[in-house]
Amino acid sequence: MAGAVATRTWRESAPDAIESDLAALWRELGHGEVKIARAVMSNLIVVRAPSDQRPALANVIAGLPLDEVGARHPSRTIVLEHCNRKALDTPFAAGVGIVTFGPPASRYGVEQIVVRSACPESSLLSMLRRLVRGDVPTSVWWTEDLSDGPPPFDPLLTIGRQILYDSRQWSDVARGLATILPLVDDPRVDLADLNWRRLAPLRRALVHARGPLKGDGWRGVAIEVDHAPGEAAIASLLTGWLRAERPGDPPPVATAASTQHDQQAIVTVKIADTTATLTAHAAEVAIPSAPPLVVAVPQESYADAIAAELRSLSPEVTLLAAMRALA
Amino acid sequence: MTIVIFGGAGDLAHRKLLPALYNLHVDGLLPPRIAIVGVGRRPMTDEAYRAFARDGVEKFSRRPIDAPAWEAFAAALFFGIADLDAPEGLAPLGARLDIVEHERGLNGDRIYYLAIPPTLFQPTVKQLARSRFVPPSDGRRARVIVEKPIGHDLASARAINEAIAEVFDEREIYRIDHYLGKETVQNILVMRFANSIFEPLFNQKYVDHVQITVAEEEGVGTRAGYYDEAGALRDMVQNHILQLLAMVAMEPPHSLDADVIRDERLEVLQSLRRLEGEDVDANVVRAQYTAGFIAGKAVPGYREEKGVKPASRTETYVALRVCIDNWRWAGVPFFLRTGKRLPKRASEISVHLKEVPPILFNADPSARLDPSVLSIRIQPDEGFSLGINSKVPGPNVQVYPVKMDFHYGSTFGGTSPEAYERLLLDVIAGDATLFMRRDAVEAAWQWVKPILERLEERGDKGLATYPAGEWGPEAGEQLIESTGRRWLAP
Repeated sequence: MAGAVATRTWRESAPDAIESDLAALWRELGHGEVKIARAVMSNLIVVRAPSDQRPALANVIAGLPLDEVGARHPSRTIVLEHCNRKALDTPFAAGVGIVTFGPPASRYGVEQIVVRSACPESSLLSMLRRLVRGDVPTSVWWTEDLSDGPPPFDPLLTIGRQILYDSRQWSDVARGLATILPLVDDPRVDLADLNWRRLAPLRRALVHARGPLKGDGWRGVAIEVDHAPGEAAIASLLTGWLRAERPGDPPPVATAASTQHDQQAIVTVKIADTTATLTAHAAEVAIPSAPPLVVAVPQESYADAIAAELRSLSPEVTLLAAMRALA
Repeated sequence: MTIVIFGGAGDLAHRKLLPALYNLHVDGLLPPRIAIVGVGRRPMTDEAYRAFARDGVEKFSRRPIDAPAWEAFAAALFFGIADLDAPEGLAPLGARLDIVEHERGLNGDRIYYLAIPPTLFQPTVKQLARSRFVPPSDGRRARVIVEKPIGHDLASARAINEAIAEVFDEREIYRIDHYLGKETVQNILVMRFANSIFEPLFNQKYVDHVQITVAEEEGVGTRAGYYDEAGALRDMVQNHILQLLAMVAMEPPHSLDADVIRDERLEVLQSLRRLEGEDVDANVVRAQYTAGFIAGKAVPGYREEKGVKPASRTETYVALRVCIDNWRWAGVPFFLRTGKRLPKRASEISVHLKEVPPILFNADPSARLDPSVLSIRIQPDEGFSLGINSKVPGPNVQVYPVKMDFHYGSTFGGTSPEAYERLLLDVIAGDATLFMRRDAVEAAWQWVKPILERLEERGDKGLATYPAGEWGPEAGEQLIESTGRRWLAP
């Protein structure tokens, strides 16, 4: 089963010794009876905010599904806990590990590097450049709430080809959008929003039910979007998509979470006489005088979704258009 | 056998030579009867020299000290003094060597290792001849190892070669380029000529371009005096990088004989398209690092480094686009770059195959497929990888670049021998395959000469800068991007 860890090695390291310590770990694993393939499909820089709750370096990765993601999309994983405190004497602390997966006959190992950085942001790139492998794509997974902190550091945009985030985490959608919108047309990076991925079944169902958004089925109709508490971001994305694809038509009206909201519905959209609802299991479109149209929501884990996004190398042009429409 | 190290108390002996000899001893690869005699200007007891050697082994050996092994190794270490300025300056050393060889029952074969500045090469070999160390009598053998840099330019290289040739036969001269001793560099020949998959692709029909990057994270360090006179072109390109280029581009040798292989490497150097005048301006980028960051730490710019002239215009980075005008490589650009204070220490050769046609899976212009790349990692993490495209599992046809990756460390376990171990062993065995022949050294200087002249002529003009911790100046990126390609970061 993907994600089952076979073995795990870990050692505290030093800034200058990350590569040599990793090499030593690989050599140690090479002495074992089970042959382990070194798997690296990409560099994955995982950004975490500093926290007093995680004093130990090894705990920086606590609560993140790194093993599960690594098993599905083996990456050189660089977890970066960065605090921009120029006064600190030591630039950062580091630890390295190798996690292996799979049965003995086909075992593979993934590198994990944890870096606690306290250097000025301007020097961050010099640190990251020495850790990433240049022969594979580099993605940046922003694990924090983008509406509640600083925007992604410019060095990350320089080094990563993709910024992966989850707008569902946004406590303030307007602020989250304000943070991410400047990146929409930044040629250096593609954006991948896990929340946008959740919206896919609903978008498919709507297009199936009423035809392409640019078609006659959508002309001049009033649209209302309603969402569950905590799901304002996905409603916003849906609104952006509808706006982007129907430029001359009345913009959709988004309403705050209503008390009457279906308990299971994540987001609901009313288009004239059609009502479409996205739940955790399906996107369902109710059309008068016709049986409901149902598109199942793929039952993928959070790690599955992340791995799938990391594997995508093409820009998500529909998401970018939706974001632009929200600007 | 006696190994006589001129500069025996110097940095190279401390960091590289003595640890390499110790490891050869631990591996049982040194001749059973051997003496290692360090030579210097200042007196030092044998015991003090053994302590100096032990410190070097403890700090720089790939293996820790093993007490019984060390004791046996240390017993073979001695120290002698020499004054190269005095007419009879080697007499005390000669007497010392005779005694050591007699006491240890050695046959009198000697290897003279010139781990000294190039300015001392000529006086040293002249003294060796004057003191009748060379040629040896009674059928004994004398070899000499010369460390780079061999000269500062073509004229000085020729002068050094000439002086050494007056004393030693070319077959007994071993010019070290330690890059050639690296395991992965030796593996280039095995990879190319022991596998039927690669060699048929190594030509202008399938290869789009080749990149060679030799990146150093360190600054000029304690070598400012030398480096400020030399610069990146002399320090790295003229020797290491051109030798790597020759290994990648050479024709298949008809045997593994040292001279056959060296002939083929020489052919490549002689086929390099000459760059002169404005061609240099268009195909060579040079730059100097300014203050920046390395691994998060602030570091000074080159001109602020200790021992560097404040107005120095020495390049610490150089990138070149070169062509090999032979049948195999016609039209295939080779992009070479090296620099100090780059983001990481890494040496890598990457062979970029041509793109597949823009149809089928490569039809989307916004998401072109990555061309296949064969990467040969020379250091660190020695090995090689082949990048290919693969379908991502699932109902959609989604293509993702994946790697077939080989790592020495995790495949064979243990640490690879250091380059100096292999090279010293080859000298002991009399195998010159991994050493530079005189004609190759001079061919490399011959090619570099008009470039040096043009750069000298232009002075400050065209000297770009880059912050420490960056992959070089913008002009370095432009050099390759103007051809529709881009550097592959190691």
